[in-house]
Amino acid sequence: MDMRRQDDFAETGRQAVRQNIRGTMEFLQKFPPFNQMESAHLAFLVEHCVLRFYGAGDAILRPDSGPVEHFYIVKQGRVHGQRPHTARRGSETTFEITTGECFPLAALLGERATRTEHLAAEDTFCLLLDRSSFVRLFGLSPVFRDFALRGVSGLLDQVNQQVQARAAETLGAQYSLDTTLAELAVRAPVTCEPALPLRDAVRLMHDRQVGSVVVVDPTQRPLGIFTLHDLRRLVADPVTDPAVALTRPIAERMIPSPYALPPTASAFDAATAMTERHIAHVCLVQDERLLGVVSERDLFSLQRVDLVHLARTIRHAGRVETLAALRGDIRQLVDRMLAHGASSTQITHLITLLNDHTVCRVIELALEELGDPGLPFAWLSFGSEGRREQTLHTDQDNGLLFEAEGPVEAAEGRRRLLPLAERINQDLARCGFALCKGQIMAGNPQLCLSRQEWSRRFATFVREATPENLLGSSIFFDLRSIWGPPEGCEALRRQLLADVADNSAFQRLLAENALRQRPPVGRFRDFVVARKGAEKDTLDLKVQGLTPFVDGARLLALANGVDAVGTLERLRALVARDVIDEKDGAAYAEAYHFIQLIRMQQHQQQARQDLPYGNRLDPDSLNHLDRRILRESFRQAQRLQGSLALRYQL
Amino acid sequence: MTPFPWLPRRRLRAPLDPDLLQRRARLPAPAPFAAAPAARQRLVVLDLETSGLDLHRDQVLSIGAVAIEDGAVDFAQQFEATLRRDGQREPGASVLIHGLAPSALAAGVAPADGLLAFMEFLGDSPLLAFHAGFDRHMLARALKDSLDLRLAHPFLDVAELAPLLCPEAGLERGALDDWVARFGLQVQQRHHASADALVTGELALILFHRARRQGLDDLAGLADACARRRRRQQAPSF
Repeated sequence: MDMRRQDDFAETGRQAVRQNIRGTMEFLQKFPPFNQMESAHLAFLVEHCVLRFYGAGDAILRPDSGPVEHFYIVKQGRVHGQRPHTARRGSETTFEITTGECFPLAALLGERATRTEHLAAEDTFCLLLDRSSFVRLFGLSPVFRDFALRGVSGLLDQVNQQVQARAAETLGAQYSLDTTLAELAVRAPVTCEPALPLRDAVRLMHDRQVGSVVVVDPTQRPLGIFTLHDLRRLVADPVTDPAVALTRPIAERMIPSPYALPPTASAFDAATAMTERHIAHVCLVQDERLLGVVSERDLFSLQRVDLVHLARTIRHAGRVETLAALRGDIRQLVDRMLAHGASSTQITHLITLLNDHTVCRVIELALEELGDPGLPFAWLSFGSEGRREQTLHTDQDNGLLFEAEGPVEAAEGRRRLLPLAERINQDLARCGFALCKGQIMAGNPQLCLSRQEWSRRFATFVREATPENLLGSSIFFDLRSIWGPPEGCEALRRQLLADVADNSAFQRLLAENALRQRPPVGRFRDFVVARKGAEKDTLDLKVQGLTPFVDGARLLALANGVDAVGTLERLRALVARDVIDEKDGAAYAEAYHFIQLIRMQQHQQQARQDLPYGNRLDPDSLNHLDRRILRESFRQAQRLQGSLALRYQL
Repeated sequence: MTPFPWLPRRRLRAPLDPDLLQRRARLPAPAPFAAAPAARQRLVVLDLETSGLDLHRDQVLSIGAVAIEDGAVDFAQQFEATLRRDGQREPGASVLIHGLAPSALAAGVAPADGLLAFMEFLGDSPLLAFHAGFDRHMLARALKDSLDLRLAHPFLDVAELAPLLCPEAGLERGALDDWVARFGLQVQQRHHASADALVTGELALILFHRARRQGLDDLAGLADACARRRRRQQAPSF
């Protein structure tokens, strides 16, 4: 080929590119992120696209069509995301993508199929960029890269959805605990006036096929509630003649002042309230007017194991063996919670709630069997249970507090309480709460103390900073009373805050301690994993990932008079007091959430495979997206440590 | 002086460069429309800008084309060439239609080069065009004149296909602009050969989709249907 013709041909080629490529670039430049991209990068994008047409109703992407192969930009038309409907049959539109917008970033980056069916809502043209060109563009254009990553954020929303979807695959239900009660209570509530004879009220419930009727005044203010449960009790009551009671006004038999939540409260709030209060119905009330009723069945109609029922079974268990058998149900419930979109905080909170019920029931059973020691006591929880951050993998960290005047009385109290405490520790072990290797258990005489003894002990921790005391403070300073009178525990916490706030030397020691565990991310390599041994190629999600957040939040909380015990509550309170910047606080919380979520997923998987629980993870076992977010989460832990180092000049 | 000035002037062809001859010899034979879904065969959508609408006198000024492969317009496969035409008859009149400035025409490539490059881009693919009869005739004449090459590629006329598949539009004799408006398509620069080729390609994608929904997803079948429609319309009515 002679040079001139070659030039001509090249010129012809370039010209060919010019008009339509330029036209499409001009079109894209009306939309972000394309309007900020360098034109060479944008040209690269357009030159590697194909243009495809989809008629109204055509599926563009489907969950069953394998990993996503293209990046799609809507040139003209509208695309709908369709998900199978929550409770009903059919599907619902979850989002709409229109001209100039693109999809599906999370699936593309995660190298997986989309979770949502993408349908053409009307006749639609899409520009499709193939995966390998997408990856190259990702490398070429920082603007595009930022957009793609930000598009995946809140990173955690996407991951949470992914986790839910993954859990839902095995469980087959989609339903979020973040759903507001207003969305759940779709039916008008069944109500009656206080004077209505009970028989008519029961007939009303029967006709309307509901389990409860709310008694209201003329302004629709709820006065009381009557449920099928109450009817059963009435009929079974040996003192009452049901035939007479049924003719009397409902007001005589209703449960007055029914528990109410605003319609903006979440399904999670209702579930927690039902579990804590042992009720099966929650009224939705706004401005003192009844808007609806949410029942236990509304909340968990899709579940075989339901939270409220489980909590009730635990509270009524007659034997420790029954409690032990219920642990499997708790695991199943956690599976379901993950499937229903609960966050890691919600789940740890619930596990703690159920564990609290189990502990209380174990104490009650032990008291029934060994007899009342004749001395009131409070059962204290430390560590993760104290922070309400328990996962399925949990061991005992507990103590006992009682009131005594002087050392002699304290010794006598201990003598009476220790056998009971030991028994409770053993029974808890039978229920799946592993005995604490460090002997942090109420059955240990050093942890079965009077209020004065506890107070002295805590003061020693702050005054004498030995390594054991520092380690102790990281466990004991997250304390909570879960059985018995709470006043002693509250007084201890108040004292602790005052002691630590005054002692900057101790704060510095705590800070040093909080820097001990370095998050496993390196400057060059993405993860730092164990080099050899049984733990080769793994990192510890709890010690290396969560502990920096837990320790950091504890230190800052104690130093700034924050009374909260949970890590996330502490972070929130610290943001409210301007100790931590709001954005930093949110980032720390997200990161903590995510590490905890990964840890819980691993525990669930280990439980399913009958493996012992463990916190060590091989990061290579994660998908691309999870890996990246885990790395970012560890970096947030590094940032928190960096800010502590700066604050305490370490 | 030519003896018959009213006859179209047949420009004397300079002998072809041996390199061009070689390339011409390597051009593949055209393939017929496949009796298979449109997505199976590579198609080339063509649009020509000409100096006017006279089939015998006017000249091809620029060629725009896009390829449809696997059922999608591939932005990596586009063609555009402006042919160098210095001996224009009435540049002033035609510029109103084709929008090509005389300077652009003067800067174009030699017609033989541009046309051969197009034929190489085309390969053995069948062609699509709006009012294909005109483009086919103009292209065939240009190829004959500049390359002594006979155009044998089959054409499918999008202007025939559109009313056949979308009778409800009521656009029996619709122009490209009518169909563009009907489907709400965006044209970057109308009367620019490659922009027109792109929008014609988009129209074709819509029509193939319609055909598939009507169970007519077969190129050879669609070409036959167009031919039958043409015969029906040309048949004398009684």
